[in-house]
Order: sequence, then C-alpha cells, then structure tokens
Amino acid sequence: MKRHVRWIVIGLFSLITGLTHAQENLIPEDSIGFRDFLILQNEIPGVSFRFQIKEKLISDRLLTDSLYLFIKTDSGFLSKLFSDFGQIRQLEMPLHYDSLQYKLHYLVFSEVSSVAATREYLSNRIQSGDLLVQFEEVAPSDDLVSLASYAPYLPMQRFKLRFISDYKLFIVTGVIAFFLIIATSMIVAMLFMKAKINKREKLRKDYDRLIIDPLTSLLFEKEQEEIELMKFDDIYQYFPEEMLAKPLYKDVLIDRIIGLNKKMKGDFKEKLKAIFKKLSLDKISLDSLSSSEWDKVAMGLVQINEMDLVEALPKVKVHANSSNFHIRSQAVATLLNLSEKVDLTFLRDQTFPLSLWQQMNYLRIIRFVRHQKDLKLQILFDSKNPSIRIFGYKLVSVLGRVDLIEHLAARTGEVSDEEKIEILEVYSTLGAHMEVGFINDCLKSENAELSMAAANAAGSIGDSVSADILVGLIAVETDFRRKHGFLKSLYDLDRDRFELATSTNPETETIEILKHILDPMLQHV
Amino acid sequence: MKKILIIEDDLLISSLVQFRLKKDGYETHLVCDGNEGIKAIDELKPDLIITDVMMPFRSGIEIIHYAKQTQPDIPIIVLSSLGEEEQVVLEAFNLGVADFIPKPFNPNELAIRVKRVLK
Repeated sequence: MKRHVRWIVIGLFSLITGLTHAQENLIPEDSIGFRDFLILQNEIPGVSFRFQIKEKLISDRLLTDSLYLFIKTDSGFLSKLFSDFGQIRQLEMPLHYDSLQYKLHYLVFSEVSSVAATREYLSNRIQSGDLLVQFEEVAPSDDLVSLASYAPYLPMQRFKLRFISDYKLFIVTGVIAFFLIIATSMIVAMLFMKAKINKREKLRKDYDRLIIDPLTSLLFEKEQEEIELMKFDDIYQYFPEEMLAKPLYKDVLIDRIIGLNKKMKGDFKEKLKAIFKKLSLDKISLDSLSSSEWDKVAMGLVQINEMDLVEALPKVKVHANSSNFHIRSQAVATLLNLSEKVDLTFLRDQTFPLSLWQQMNYLRIIRFVRHQKDLKLQILFDSKNPSIRIFGYKLVSVLGRVDLIEHLAARTGEVSDEEKIEILEVYSTLGAHMEVGFINDCLKSENAELSMAAANAAGSIGDSVSADILVGLIAVETDFRRKHGFLKSLYDLDRDRFELATSTNPETETIEILKHILDPMLQHV
Repeated sequence: MKKILIIEDDLLISSLVQFRLKKDGYETHLVCDGNEGIKAIDELKPDLIITDVMMPFRSGIEIIHYAKQTQPDIPIIVLSSLGEEEQVVLEAFNLGVADFIPKPFNPNELAIRVKRVLK
C-alpha cells in the first residue's frame, strides 16, 4: 500500500512539473521565433508593438502614411502602437521595400519591454490560463515526416480543452474522482459483505429449523447405546447425507448440541455426546485446534471441554502455555476438567502470570473435580512463576488442605515477602498453630505489609511471644492504621496484655482506638 | 386432553419439552416471547403454563403476574437457568408458581413434575 502511495505521489509530482515545463516551452526563446509566435497569437491583452526606424530620413510616403503615423525622435522615427501582431508581416513590407533599417519594440501595458521580459509576461499569462496559445496549422496533405519537422515536441501543447490545460483543476478533479471511486468501491464491498452475512444468517436459521426435529426425535427415541451402534445409513435418516456435507450445517449442529448440552442433564447429556461423536463433529473440534485463528482454537477447546473429548487432551496440552489469554485459559480449564489424573504440571509450567479471572475460573473447576481426582497441589509450589505459586497457596486455604501445611513450612525460608503474606493467610485460615515461629519472625519484619499480615495471623494463632512482639510494635508505631491493626490483633490474642498495654499508654490516639475496638457497634467499621 | 402452554425463546428446548409432553398425551402449544405468551394465555385458557424467565419483550415474571391476575387458577411451572438471581426465583414463588425447575434439566423429570402439578 505504501509503495502504491509513493508511486501516486511521484506520478502527480511528475505531472505537475511536466505541465509547468511544457507551458514554458510553448514560447520560443530566440527573437525571430518569438516574433513568429506573436504573429500567430494576433491580439494579446496588455501587449502591443511598434516600429523604430533608425534612419535619419524616410520617404514622404511613409511619413504621411496614416497607418504608421511615424513621429521623429532623437533616435529615429517611431510608429504608433499596434495591438494586432497578425499585422506584423503586412506592416513590414513597405519598410522592406524602402530598404529601411528598423526594429520591433514590444510594449507591456504601454511600457517598452525587452524580448525576455515580454516572454516572461506571456509565460505567466499562459500558466494562469488567461491566454490560450494559437499554433500554426500544418496542411494535412503533407507526408508525416515533413509534418513532424513542422511540429516541435511540446508536451500538452495540443490540448484544446481548457479543462485539461488547467493542470490544477485537472489534479483536483482527479483526486475527487479517486476518492469517489474508493468510496463507491467500499460501499459496494460493504453491501456485498452484508448480503453474504445475511445469506449466511438466513441459512443458519433454516438449518436450525431443520435440525430441531431430528435431534429431538433421536434424543427421545434412541438410547445412548443405540445411538453409538447406529450405522451411517440410519444416521442419514435423521440428518441427510447431503446436508452433513455442508460445513455451515455442521457448524449449526455443533452450536445446537453444545447449547443443549449446557441446558440438559442426566442421560440426555450422554446421548448428546454420543450424537456429537457419531456425526464426526468431534473431528471438526479437533481440527480447529490447529487453526491459525485464535477464536477458532478457543471455540474448539470449549467444544472439547463441553463434550468431554478426552482423546483430544494431548493436543489441548500444547495450548496450555499459549501466548493468547483466551486459548491458555480454555486449555487449562479443559485439562483440569477432563484429565483423569490431574498432576497440574501443565499449570506449574505456565510462564504467563495468572489473572484474577483465571484464578476464579480454575478454582471453580478444581473445587468441582477435587472429590473425583487426587490433586497434587504441592506441584504448584515448585513453579517458577510467582503467580502460580501464590495461586497454589490460595488453593491450600480455599480447599482446606491442612496436609499441605508441612510443604508450605518447608518453603518459608526461600520465598518472597508477597508469598509469605499469602502463606500467613493460609496459616491463619487453617489455624496452623505449629507455625507460630514463622508468624513471630514475620512480625519483626521491616516490611510493613508483611508485619501487618503477621499481626493479623497472630491475632488468631499467635502465642505469648507474639503478644510480646505486638506490645513492642504498639509502643513504637506512629501510623494510626497500623497501630489500630496491632492493637486489634493483641485484643484478639490476649485481652489482659491488651488492657495492660492500653492502660499504660495515655496517648489520645490509643484511647480512641481502644474505644473503637471495645465498642461492639464499631466492630466492623 | 389437558392443554399446556410452553413459553420459551429457545426453540430447541421448547421442542424437546413439547415432544416429551406429547408423549404423555398432553396438548401442547409453543410460543417464543412474552407478548405472544400473554396473548396465548387469553386465547387458549391452558391447564398449565411452563415459562422461561428471560425472554424477549416481556419477562417470565410479567407473564406470571398477568396470569395470576387474569386466571389465578392456572398452575405455572418456571423453567429457568440456575444463574437467575435468587430474588427472581423468590419473586416467582411469592407470586404463586407451582414449581421451579432449574436448567440444566432433564425433560423426564419435567414430565413427572407436570403430572404431579396437574393431578
């Protein structure tokens, strides 16, 4: 496209410069040629000429000739001004006859001008379109070669139409025409596309109607085993062979079966899956995994997930670490849903960070499948991706996997503060009293967020050491919110130490926090 | 023969329900939006209404309102997705629907509930 634009610009530039150059070339540069050029033009507005005879004496016949009206000057005789250049030859004849030395003076707006100045003036008039140049007509009877010698190469000089001679108007018209053509083409293309889409939509509706009856009959008339044992000839009685050859018909069938599968339960679900496979629609789903269009791949993954196409899992696994968010999410969801043994390595090896939406989605599936499958969540702790590790810690908490606290404890020495905060939440949720040492270590941390998370955990599972640390923190803390947090944790952990700490601290701020904590109405404010 | 009016915008679901209920010997009538549903209630005077909640033009709740005002004796079964807000389900029951069947559903189960409601 860029190359085309470049060529268009070059073309327009060449046309403009070529036209300008051509217009200038119309006027000969030599004085004889220029005189002949003027003769052809006849009258030119603003331009006139006169004769100057340099002799000291001229005949009485010329002197008294009313055609010339010669007057005597210091440099010779000057004629009156003539405006019709076509008369030049006729006017020169008597001068030639008397063998007089004469000169032509050109005048622009009654001012004597040189040949160059007059030429410049005419050139400007021609360029602005004020003057239409006349050319010598060559007799058509001459042969071509002779004719060519009479006609010097002057581009564009033969354009009789004023429209074409005016290159600016020509270019503007060209540009407008170009845009009109483009706009028209776009409208035609849009109409074509719209018609195509409408036709497709109409066909979809028609196929939809055609599908309802056979699908309903099949679901109610046949058992799942019968559907699985059906031969193609039997299938064609419900869904005609020529229709099954049409990709759009199959698309509608897939949409309908998938849609119905979501709204049905019990044996109907199994029957739908059997029909899906019997019609070889699973092959379409599998093929779509190799598509270069991400939406087709994602749709294929949804179909595999919905129709429990376990045999497609190796192909699905390939997409588990796809750079496309939707493909990746669907692939992981499908693997979690369909894998017989979910070892979660595909999730561990993901290099892309997990979004909150993905975490919610995976959690929903994991919650659903955890009773049927042995999930080895600890695999996620070994991931190189911090978001996967944090998701693993969250799962321990949400699924109540107390058995994994030992795995978590083994990792606390090497993880980041962000992960420590998540682990503290797990300990707090699961009541991991045996890990109070880790909580106390975190309470001493210089990371404000980490020490606050540790204080929250200490409020529920802390010990006397935690209370000592909290008292120390309260004494030195200046930030209101943090102080409030520490006091609240101490209140939850040890009421006596809390009362002691507040009674020995006469600060107004502490008294305000104390009132706030003790007031049951403000407990959640 | 008992007349059952099925108001459901998903043609495939309504056809399945119709097919199943016809097997049990009921006379069934299908309409696919709320406006048609209200018109059909007046014209058909059905013995039972099975309606979806989310539909074009008028919702299932509006249909229940209308049916309970004009023909309060007609029992109504709501057939809708579980994703529907709890408040909508409660409102339907408050209006006096006979039963609520969440989607995904089993047409055989629906047939049993229909039989029970029409007894």
